[in-house]
Formats: sequence, C-alpha cells, structure tokens
Amino acid sequence: MKLPSLLALGATVFALMAGAAGAAAPVGKIPRLPNGKPDFSGIWETTSAADHGLEPHGGRRDAPPFAGIVDGGSIPYLPKALEQRRKNFEQREQADPRLKCYTLGVPRGVYYREPFQLLQRAEDLTQVFQFGHSVRTIATNGTQHPDNPNDWWLGDSRGRWDGDTLVVDVKHFNDETWLDRSGNFHSDALHVVERWRYLDANTIEYRATLEDPQVYSRPWSLSVLLHRHREANFQLVENYCYTLDYDAHYPPRPPK
Amino acid sequence: MNPHLHHAPEAPLPLWERGWGEGLQATARPSLQPSPARGERVHARLRQRLVKTALIVATVLALSPYSDAQTPPGTAPTPYRSGGGGGGISQERTYPLIDSGKWTGKRLRDGQPDVQGHWSNTIANHNNWTDPQGGIPGDPATRGRPAGPREERAISRVTDPADGQIPFQPWAKAAQEDFLAHFHNPTQPQYIEPLARCAPGGVPKSFIWHGYEIRQYPGLVVFLFNSGTRFVYLDGRPHLPANIKLWNADSRGRWEGNTLVVDVTNHNGKALFGRTGEFISENGHITERYVFSNDGKGYNYVATFDDPTVYTRPWTATIPARRWTADDKPNGWHFETRLAKHDGKERIVEREERICHENNGGFGNTAQPGG
Repeated sequence: MKLPSLLALGATVFALMAGAAGAAAPVGKIPRLPNGKPDFSGIWETTSAADHGLEPHGGRRDAPPFAGIVDGGSIPYLPKALEQRRKNFEQREQADPRLKCYTLGVPRGVYYREPFQLLQRAEDLTQVFQFGHSVRTIATNGTQHPDNPNDWWLGDSRGRWDGDTLVVDVKHFNDETWLDRSGNFHSDALHVVERWRYLDANTIEYRATLEDPQVYSRPWSLSVLLHRHREANFQLVENYCYTLDYDAHYPPRPPK
Repeated sequence: MNPHLHHAPEAPLPLWERGWGEGLQATARPSLQPSPARGERVHARLRQRLVKTALIVATVLALSPYSDAQTPPGTAPTPYRSGGGGGGISQERTYPLIDSGKWTGKRLRDGQPDVQGHWSNTIANHNNWTDPQGGIPGDPATRGRPAGPREERAISRVTDPADGQIPFQPWAKAAQEDFLAHFHNPTQPQYIEPLARCAPGGVPKSFIWHGYEIRQYPGLVVFLFNSGTRFVYLDGRPHLPANIKLWNADSRGRWEGNTLVVDVTNHNGKALFGRTGEFISENGHITERYVFSNDGKGYNYVATFDDPTVYTRPWTATIPARRWTADDKPNGWHFETRLAKHDGKERIVEREERICHENNGGFGNTAQPGG
C-alpha cells in the first residue's frame, strides 16, 4: 500500500475510534444556548481516581486501587516510550509536572481532582482550571488550526458539533505535561480528539482519543464522567500554586 | 515559557536586555519551548529576538506623540489613537473624562452592556505609578526617557488626593521607598517585582500591564489578563470567607447604567502596583467603577482604595482604557492577538494562550536576587 493510502487508512481508523462512543440521547432536558446547542456552562469535576494512574492498578501508598479509564486497559506504548514511562513512574514523586504547578494540559486538566469552569458563547467555550487558574479557549466558530502554530501547554482547540456532541480537535502541544501522576506521557506530536456530551443535565461524558506516533503504537481512548458542582454559591477559588515558593515575601508588613 | 527575561536585574544588564523593560520582561508568552533543561541553548536565540524587540520598541517610542498635546494633562479630551500597530507603551498624555449615566450601546441577552473584546490602558505601563510616563526612578539607564518638566508627561494615576500621591502611613511610605531603592539591584527576594516571576498582575496592576480581553456571560464578567484571570460575579452572591486571600481578590459587581461597580475584598496584597512598589495590604478594600463610553471605544477605571493598615485615608486612582478591534493590527504589547484561519473573509481576532510560570518557581531561572 502506498504511504498516502496508509495515512488515509490511519486517519479513518482514528476518526472511527474518536467517534466510537454510542450516542444515546441524554436523560431529561439539558441546558441549551439560544442557538440550540448544548450549553456546558458550569463548574465540573470528576469523581474518578484517574489522575493517580489511567491504567488499572492495585493500591499503593500514593494511590488507591483503581480499574482504570483506558479502553482495553493499557496504553499502547512504543518500546522506547515504555521505558521512559517506567522511569517517569519511578521518579513520579519529584518529576510530576503538577508538583511544580505547571499547567496540566489536555486531557489531564479535565480529570484532575480540582474543579474547572466552562463558560460558553456561540463562538467559543472557555475552560478555566482552578489548578493554576489557566485558561483554554475552544473555538466553535468554524475556524481552523493556525498555519503558524506555537507549542502550547493546552494545545490549539477547534470544536464542531456532531449533533449534541461537542467534538474538539486539539494539537500543537508542548511536551512538558504528563497524563497522570504515574508518569504516563506524550510528545509534542500529541493529537487529541475530545467528545463532550450530556448524559443528563448534571453529568457530562468526556471521551478523549490520543494519537502520538512518537510515543504510542496506535491511537487509544479514555473516558470519564464529569459531575456538575451544585453546591450553593460554589465558585472556583484561584489556585496560583506556582507562586507558593515566593509569595511570603509580599507585601511589606507594618512594624510590630 | 517566559523567554522575556525576567527583568529582575542583576546589575548591569546590557542595554537591549534592560531595554525599555516593557517589552522585555516576564510577559506570559505563547510557550515556545524552554524547559529548564533546554534553557541554555534557547538563550542565544532569545537574545537575538530580544534585540529585535528592543529596536522595534525604540522606533515606536521615537514616534510617540509626547509633545502633541497642547492642553494641560488630564484636562482635555484626546481622541483615541486608532490602531497603527504600534507596540509602544507610553501613548496618550491625556484622556477624556467619561460621565456615569445611561448605557445606550449594545446589550447581551441577560441585559448587561456588551463590553466584550480587547482592551488596554492608553497612558503607560506599570513602570511608575504616580508619574506613569516618567520611567522607573533611579534607573541607571535613562534610555532616552523624556528629561523635560513633569508637566509634559501624563498626570499621576492618583486622582484624589489632588497632589497625586498615595496617602501612605509613614511605615508604608518607607516600605515603598525601600522597594524602589532596591528595585534595580534586588539584594533580597522581596525586592523582586512579583510579575518578574510570572505572578498574576492582580488588582489594579493588571490594568496597566499588557492588553487584556473581557468576556461576558449571564451574571459574570471575566477578565483574561496577560498574567492572571479574574471573575466578577454579578449574581449577588456573598464574598468568600475573609481568611481566603487571593492575587486577584474576590469581586462582586453590578451594572449601574454605563458603569460596572465592583466591590473587591479578599486581596492578598502581594502583586504590588508596579515597579515603584506601591501596595495595598490584605486588609484592603477597593471599590471599582468601570465607566464605559457609549461609543464603545473606551472606558475609565476609577477605583477607591481603602486600607487602615496602609493608608491615612481612602484615595482614588484613574486608569483610562481603549478598545482594540479586528481593524487594528495585532502588536506585542496592547493587542496580543492573531487573526484566525478560516474560510470566510471576516477578520476574526483570537487571543493566544498566556501561560508564564514554568521557569519561575522560587526565584525563577533568572529572577535572582543580586548583591
């Protein structure tokens, strides 16, 4: 088979995987924007232990036992990448970028155990993560990935609607983020396709398919549920944790 | 990454690195690469880029219309300069007063005046709080700053009291002067301006830092600053518990005609107001009025600062701002945007990711105390 056909086949398989979720209608009415699209505005958080490790694992001192959220169980690493992953795991208590309060990236920010807020207009969604208070914009105005991209912490996100499912194509990442506390990782060639859809008015099913030819032998998918924070007056409380090392030096204090 | 060298100056930096400072410091840039491990080899490239930036800034400053205005500063309306693509920091000497009153412009579906879009201050950056176009006092490199009389530059941001000075208590005045005296050669960590470490700009410095975007939602106004993000809730909810202190404080607002009135508490006081070291403490209370002009082109930020720990009486600051639109050319200071790629003809402005913390833990890679 010629190379272009192989690429085309790969793209088709990837597209099929990314779209693999069944599209059962949500239970009950869901919030909608004036344009009729589902309105995901709200503050969301998973109850999953995914951030401790995406793959199935038994209990250990730094993580509860967990059945994992990876379709098929394990991440299909290339041999060399698997070795890197093993090293990352051994060094996780020092090397996890979250410990430096680095922006968590996509998809980790979605299933990290701190809330994030979605704000939605017809033309875009804004995702504000409490952790680091970083901001991601998902364009839903028909715009495309830029021709002159940088390597962004959160990638470049272009969304479209597939019925009531928001499908987001994300690429142009840097390679500084991990996928969890267990050292699962990616390169700057990471490409993520997310599918966001309501199961009911207070529950979102989030699926992400990841491909990265430098790290994985084939695309793979994960899925978590996100729950709406419904506590009265619940709000994000900015967590600029990267300032903790030096913030005690400010402001000047009055003499005692 | 923060390629923009972290100005916390180890003395003496080369001219291009100290530059006019503004374009060259810890601005949250789209992350190009630098992990700490790669920092070294990236450095040379960054220097080249910085030299270019300094030259551009120099050119823009040379063209800036310091001497255009014939009226006393702050007294006469000055037309907003349109676009031009200048990345210049110092711009207008004067600004129009805007009266609070009715809003006759566009509204959003929840009834709020629609003030969404891109904005920046029209006077100068955070180099100097009370003499905004006067540079950083004690700066060993004068770099062509206007040496003329004070009257030739924009008035103080302090618009009450009339002397343009913050009514500091003696200890606080001494602390501010101590910060400024050490700014150019910081021998202790507290003399490093927090923004140089990629800390959030906070209230009110974020309004005199880079350009920023306002997005509005039912019951909510969101400011996306170059460094930091701020939510203003309009739904009448109570403030957070008093012991929670935040870089961007806790904001509760309401619209009164063309004016967004915001009650600001829970301030951690850490961000400082600028390179001259003015500050508020965690006991401070700020009442902000954002007075928007009905033509949608500008607004004045008029805020009263009250803090029995730091000031002898409440005082007021005024910071004028202008709107930037798709008709303006993106630039590296006031309007850090790009045009979106799409199939249509419309010019769609996009804000880029602004993340600036990964090299700045502790003292940061380069924000080191000197001495």
